[in-house]
Amino acid sequence: MKSLERLTLAHLWVAFAAFAVACFFGVWQMWARSPLPAPFVTPDHYFLSVTAHGVSMAFVLTTFFIMGFGYFTAETALGRPLPGIHWAWLAFVISLAGALMATVAILSGRASVLYTFYPPLTASPIFYFGLVLVVVGSWIWCVLMIVAMSRWKHANPGAPVPLAMYATVANAVMWLWTTIGVAAELLFIVLPASMGWNDTVDVGLTRTLFSWTLHPIVYFWLFPAYIAFYTMAPQAAGGPLYSDTLGRLSFVLLLLYSLPVGMHHLLMDPMQSTGFKFVQMMLTILVAVPTLLTVFTIAASMEIAGRLRGGRGLFGWIPALPWERPMVLATGLSFVMLFFGGGGGLVNMGYGLNALIHNTSWVTAHFHLIFGGAVVIMYFAISYEIWFPLTGRVASSVLAQRIQLWLWFCGMMVMSLPWHWLGLQGQWRRVAQFDYSNPIIAAWGPWVIVSLVGGLLLLASAILFIWNLASFRRRPFAAVPSFRFAVAVHSPRRVPAALNGFGLWNALVLFLMVAAYGWPIAQFFVLQAPQAVVHRVDRGG
Amino acid sequence: MALQPQAADRRWRVWSTAIVVFVVVVAALLAFVVLPIVQGQSAGLTAFAAICRSLGLQAGSPAARQPSSESKAQPVSMVAWTPQVIDRLHHPNLKNGAEIAANICASCHGEKGVSPDAQFPHMAGQSAFAIYKQLHDFKNGARVNELMGSIVENLDDEQMADVAAHFSALTKGALDPRTISSGDPDVVRLVEYGVSGRGIPGCASCHGAHAGGPIETPTLAGQRQEYLFAQLTAFANGDRHNDIFNRMRGIAAKLHKDEIEKIAEYYAAVRLFRPQD
Amino acid sequence: MVVGGAVALIFAAILYAGLVLHVNPPSNIETIDPKTLHLSAEFTETNLGTKVEAGGQVISRIVATQFAFDPQCMVVPSNEPVTLRLASPDVIHGILVTGTNVNTMVIPGYVSQIHTVFTKTGDLLMPCHEFCGFGHSQMWATVRVVPRESFRPNADGRVACEKS
Repeated sequence: MKSLERLTLAHLWVAFAAFAVACFFGVWQMWARSPLPAPFVTPDHYFLSVTAHGVSMAFVLTTFFIMGFGYFTAETALGRPLPGIHWAWLAFVISLAGALMATVAILSGRASVLYTFYPPLTASPIFYFGLVLVVVGSWIWCVLMIVAMSRWKHANPGAPVPLAMYATVANAVMWLWTTIGVAAELLFIVLPASMGWNDTVDVGLTRTLFSWTLHPIVYFWLFPAYIAFYTMAPQAAGGPLYSDTLGRLSFVLLLLYSLPVGMHHLLMDPMQSTGFKFVQMMLTILVAVPTLLTVFTIAASMEIAGRLRGGRGLFGWIPALPWERPMVLATGLSFVMLFFGGGGGLVNMGYGLNALIHNTSWVTAHFHLIFGGAVVIMYFAISYEIWFPLTGRVASSVLAQRIQLWLWFCGMMVMSLPWHWLGLQGQWRRVAQFDYSNPIIAAWGPWVIVSLVGGLLLLASAILFIWNLASFRRRPFAAVPSFRFAVAVHSPRRVPAALNGFGLWNALVLFLMVAAYGWPIAQFFVLQAPQAVVHRVDRGG
Repeated sequence: MALQPQAADRRWRVWSTAIVVFVVVVAALLAFVVLPIVQGQSAGLTAFAAICRSLGLQAGSPAARQPSSESKAQPVSMVAWTPQVIDRLHHPNLKNGAEIAANICASCHGEKGVSPDAQFPHMAGQSAFAIYKQLHDFKNGARVNELMGSIVENLDDEQMADVAAHFSALTKGALDPRTISSGDPDVVRLVEYGVSGRGIPGCASCHGAHAGGPIETPTLAGQRQEYLFAQLTAFANGDRHNDIFNRMRGIAAKLHKDEIEKIAEYYAAVRLFRPQD
Repeated sequence: MVVGGAVALIFAAILYAGLVLHVNPPSNIETIDPKTLHLSAEFTETNLGTKVEAGGQVISRIVATQFAFDPQCMVVPSNEPVTLRLASPDVIHGILVTGTNVNTMVIPGYVSQIHTVFTKTGDLLMPCHEFCGFGHSQMWATVRVVPRESFRPNADGRVACEKS
């Protein structure tokens, strides 16, 4: 097996190992919160589990998957070997070491601060340093993606960069911008506090820096799913991509508008003014645009494919699609979850509506549905799709893949829809145990159990996913065809420079970030807000 | 033909920039001018004040008057954990502390901080921050005890920090009380889970390892049973009130008497590694 | 364009709420030192709870600390403007009040402030909704909304829950 395949597989296996373990933690957490008696439920176990689940899903599954898939895309879309593959392996080792460090810190109970960190609660420095290493590895990935694209452009002057790679590099550029916030937070504030060099921290500034990262990171996770929508789903459906240009535009809009909007995570915080919350909220409305464009473009592509297969009438193309193909099925299921999850998101970002649901189960429902649902189901589909070129093995059972995808979809809907309802009732977050003797809370009990059932379906699906990957079979003497991404209806011979590079967009991102975050961050240096004492969670008793 | 692509590229640059800037300007106008002025009018605020609030330069909402407060401070403890104080406790003069302990404290609290008398608490391995705070509270009357009150009159701030750090260093490592199993499942439940229905957090959520509770939280493991019982009872009836914002009073008042007894017994039974062991 | 229409609709709704209903998220850039909160004038223990100030404003001052609110029960009148002011001496907390849209973070270093009107009478649950440590699950208070006739401040202008 060539080095690139091994590189990609290494990343994917780390990602899925973390994912599988995290699923177990997740189910236990839901059991603990339900009226049903669960074992080992103490607050320290619960919050250790929440931290482990969050860090695995939000930092490990995602970063490693994205890096692995990115390397694969770079080589297959550009049709040339990845430059600097040794750097890529170095990045893998660094990130893996970091993930292991963080894992050790979490499992030893010295880092129960949740994946969003809650300063002044301060964990062991090993935890933070581990996460820094994961990010450093990903930065190397970003550089490699940019280098790969720019070398290709140099070798193919004037030609449009293949969409899959353009989108991957958009993601890399966005990630570099994204991590500025959390890197600044960790390096300048949280790590020094955890090393004992500071006894107090500026909580407002720390939270604001984290919010810088907190929104675009979800788009970092989302990009591979959208890449699959544009460059794999149409092909799997048997048709072309409706519009290459709209695709590029969507990715660029995601880059622009996912960054200057982190403050919608701080709408309920006192230390940011109404004016800046409003500005960032307006920009957040705009980040819905690329998703709406994507839904339109992909639906149109699917319609073309459906009609090519003989579908007639207004909606006849839908049943005509080859739903037996996992990539097509996953896309359809993902769109359903995107509809619900996206709708929830519109409520979250509402200037006034956020007050209704902040820190309730509605928020938990939203991100499980949109990320755990719409995005991760595409991670599964991508894996199934690229497993053959990666390993030379074929699926034992495509039916099992479809069952796994359906299980994931059903589980996610059953788990998260009740949470939306419970959130509106006021069920709040991060609770190890509810007092079900309280009549208000007792009414929630049955729905919590329904959610738990959803979680069990998800766990079954996760196990089946790993099983499916492990049971890909060697097909003797099979030549591995080169992987091909979808082509557009009107394949462009040339695209505008703006949609073939990122110079313009970087400049505009800079402008947007200064406008949206300039004063909101600078104010802390002027205000010099009183700092809070550090609360160590890695020592004491 | 060669010119056309460049013209197209330029159009993209110009229009993209224009749209982005336009969006930001419109958003800013609405956010910092239109909304605050409209809201401020009905709240009786000047436009200037409303705009300042929307920028965050003034406290308060652009849509309501800012309330004022006239009250006098009546603190229950004068200790404030400034960086200077914390630093002092991290860099003590242990020799000084040992001398003070030997001369002043040992007669009641024992040679090595292990008290020979049931009514006097053990000091060995206690949190330096906890001891420091209590010494100060005794001195200014936030916590009332005749014996301690007269003793600390002669101690200054530096001496208090030194002796606190001395006692804190007298054991090795912190113990996790949850590693000790007590026979009674009720008290284990109380210590680890608390009682949601009564709003009682588990004792371990502050007093346990890796808890991240308030910095002055004392270690309870291996403490004198009679002392623990007396303190919880004093918190419950308000005789002791130097806990900040009712943290302990609120909890103790909700505990039943037998629960207080069991908690005292539980923590006293936890083995604490002492120098003579 | 459908996309444009959807965006415009959302935007219009938010603008309406802001301009006509004066709905704002709870912003209040007013700093206060968490380390000396117990020594402050406004948030000293005896000044917590509901008080009718000289100008007639009903203000409820609450401290969120690990792991309880002080006071754990507060009384507010229905159908009258009430201002909640919250502060924390230690870590990040947050509150919501069930059945209302009262919702804010409590960030050490800042005074959180909410202007609201309670319409439903009865005992409402006010849990801490942000992770603040191991005791987070047990941290909650009661907001008792009483009709105006039952809202009787004492000589100092204070109203408290009756001790049960």
